[in-house]
Amino acid sequence: MTLLALADVTKSFGGVTAVGGLSFTVRPRHVVGLMGPNGAGKTTIINLISGLLHPDAGTIRLGGQPVTRARPHEIAGGGLARTYQNVRLISGMTALEQVIVGSYLRRGTSLLASILHLPAARAAARATRADAMDLLARVGMADRADTLAETLSYGEQRRIEIARALASQPKLLLLDEPTAGMNAAESAEIGRLVHALRDDGLTVLMVEHNMRLVADFCEHVVVMNFGRKIAEGPPAACIADPAVQEAYFGKQRDAQRHRA
Amino acid sequence: MMDIVEDLWAAYASTLGFAMVNAFFALATYATLSAGILSFGAVTFGAAGGFLGAQMVLHSTVPLPLIFLAAGLAGAVVSLLVAMIFLRLESHWMALASLALVLITRVVVLNTPDLTGGVNGLSIPQPLPLEWLAGLLVVTVGAFYALDRSWYGIAARAVREDTSVATCMGIDPRRIQLIAMGISGFVGGLGGVMMALMLQFVSPDTFFIHVAFTMIAGVVLGGSHHWFGPVLGAAVFTALPTVMQAFIPEMQDIGNGAALLLIMIFLPRGLLDPRAMRLRRARK
Amino acid sequence: MELFFAQLLNGCALGALYGLFGIGFGLVFATMGILNAAQGAYASWAAIVAMYAIDLLGLPFPVAVLVGILAGGMVAVLVDQIGFEPLRRFGPGLHQAAMLGALITSIAFWIMLESAAGFATGQQSLAFPPGSYPAAVFHAGPMMLPAMQAITLAGLVVVGGGMHWINTRTRFGAAMRAVGWDPVAAGLGGVNARVIVIATAFLSGGISGFAGILSGISTANVSASLGQGLMLKGFAAVVVGGYDDIRGTAIAGLALGVLEVFCAQYLSSSWRDGFAYALLLGFLMLRPRGLFGSAGFTRA
Repeated sequence: MTLLALADVTKSFGGVTAVGGLSFTVRPRHVVGLMGPNGAGKTTIINLISGLLHPDAGTIRLGGQPVTRARPHEIAGGGLARTYQNVRLISGMTALEQVIVGSYLRRGTSLLASILHLPAARAAARATRADAMDLLARVGMADRADTLAETLSYGEQRRIEIARALASQPKLLLLDEPTAGMNAAESAEIGRLVHALRDDGLTVLMVEHNMRLVADFCEHVVVMNFGRKIAEGPPAACIADPAVQEAYFGKQRDAQRHRA
Repeated sequence: MMDIVEDLWAAYASTLGFAMVNAFFALATYATLSAGILSFGAVTFGAAGGFLGAQMVLHSTVPLPLIFLAAGLAGAVVSLLVAMIFLRLESHWMALASLALVLITRVVVLNTPDLTGGVNGLSIPQPLPLEWLAGLLVVTVGAFYALDRSWYGIAARAVREDTSVATCMGIDPRRIQLIAMGISGFVGGLGGVMMALMLQFVSPDTFFIHVAFTMIAGVVLGGSHHWFGPVLGAAVFTALPTVMQAFIPEMQDIGNGAALLLIMIFLPRGLLDPRAMRLRRARK
Repeated sequence: MELFFAQLLNGCALGALYGLFGIGFGLVFATMGILNAAQGAYASWAAIVAMYAIDLLGLPFPVAVLVGILAGGMVAVLVDQIGFEPLRRFGPGLHQAAMLGALITSIAFWIMLESAAGFATGQQSLAFPPGSYPAAVFHAGPMMLPAMQAITLAGLVVVGGGMHWINTRTRFGAAMRAVGWDPVAAGLGGVNARVIVIATAFLSGGISGFAGILSGISTANVSASLGQGLMLKGFAAVVVGGYDDIRGTAIAGLALGVLEVFCAQYLSSSWRDGFAYALLLGFLMLRPRGLFGSAGFTRA
């Protein structure tokens, strides 16, 4: 039983292979870490899964359905939501509105009914708003609901972005470096949130290059370097793997040896 | 004394009328702009509505409301056809293609004299009651307000600000932009027939590039992020020449250009900017 | 056959004007991402200034042309620094908000410059004084080549070749492209972005102005609206040729000119603009990168 399956996925840009023959699977209700040094191709994978890029070869399946050539909104409709490495909120919207946009797929009314402000559409809109408020409360941002999101701190914007992704009630959540630019306490908070979400039945695939965080957050890890998988398994075993140590620290060790 | 008031009203009424007609064109441009498309197509949709409306007045006894409806639908049909071809283009090219469309429209209008009167245009012996114009504008503005509040409006804002993020949230940008083009076409077609009736005359020059540029200018001036911005911008842009005429008659155009330039430099997001309003509110 | 060759030459001369104007127009679009509605006014003003330089100051023809080109360039710098410079704080050149803003300010300048040009010409269509420009006709067998057509064609070759050389072989050309893509990064890279922008604007205005002067002579019409016709066809040449491709713009301009003349001669004179614009639209749809551009261009 797998929720997400990549088989032999390859993507290159102008002759440079960003992802080469990558295969891995994500099981439901797991938190899976995708780690690797900078430039390993992690964000490319996220973009391939969410449909912003299409692989040159290989297949991607989400919930058993092939989505290799699907467009991003179709994949989102299939139960995928994501966040971005550099937070991408929508300019000019309040925190609450950001989350409301995120619930577009669950609006529970047709565009026409909504334009005509039919009673059913109005009721659905009220429900959406209440759900969005609940989500903001869940990420600890309820008191900022009516603040213009771009005026909030980076950490706060990240949390709003996670709430926005959750608003579509996805089956699979992709988090692209969710703790970048956060301090240890804030990171731990994100970790607790991710675990709580998993306990509620959500599956999470998160990109992270901080090994300690991966060890704390994830049950299963895929390690990449130069677009290829170099290790997969439980976090502790992966981190101890010589190939992973080489990818992360090899250069420093070489440098130290040269200096010595 | 009464004469002066009547004269003022006579001058004022026509300015008011043209301000309202221009508001239709500005709203048609806003409709696409608010979904992230810079398009000059409203001129072409206006031509479709304007010439159809003119022919219906000249050659049929159809009542005005039905003529308005037909003009709007004609604009919408043209806009949806255009959208199906153009929406494959990236935004810059889309803007250029719509400009080319305006140029082609003129050539087509000039060369189909049976339909458009060709270079001589068509005279329309049918005045446009101002209350009709005002009533329709109020309804249209109300519709834009409703659109803005609806799921369509929310999705359009997301598409405009960040298409890639919007599509990852499950919004199909082409569907939203197709709707935007359809609305632009209907409102542009309405504007076209209003313009024709207001002028009581249509010719190839009625729907040409200056109209495209003035309506874009009107939208940006009023505020391209607010449903009332285009109406305000069109009003200012129509009143400006009248005001300039009163003060510096021979330098009218230069005054218009300078005013437009100053507004763009000092108020680049327009007179009505919801984001700035929110920021101000937040500071209080 | 003689008519054919004569018309071919007429078409080429007309097309050379479109190509020349287009090179100036495309320069600003390619490097700064600005669709400049005021570009036509540069051509009008250059022609007006050159004409008065002969008419009022009695300057010799080559000097008057140079003065007109300088005027076109200076007007372009003025428009750029007043109208576009304040908008560059939006960010890199190809940002949509900045592009829209620049389009509006260029419309403002278009209105102002054209209206002012109307005053300068007394709202009339004037002409260069007869005898003030080379009017010789070269004979080559059955073919006749009027001097102004020769100058126009030579102008396209020299300006096109020169711009191509600047673009591909000089540091200045590289700097123009760098500033166009990202003025901030270019500034960090040691390129004085503002100087490059001003120089680019000047070149663009000068080239379009040159086209305006030549057009003013060959059509015997110097008026405020001179630039408008050039602008529409020059715009078409830029799109068909590829907006960052000087060679393509020149060839597309020539092709449009020939197409226009032959359509008028053999098909239908009232539809001749239609063919040009349909070609423009076709290229936008099928080859948005232009004649020689890479075809693999997709929606981002």
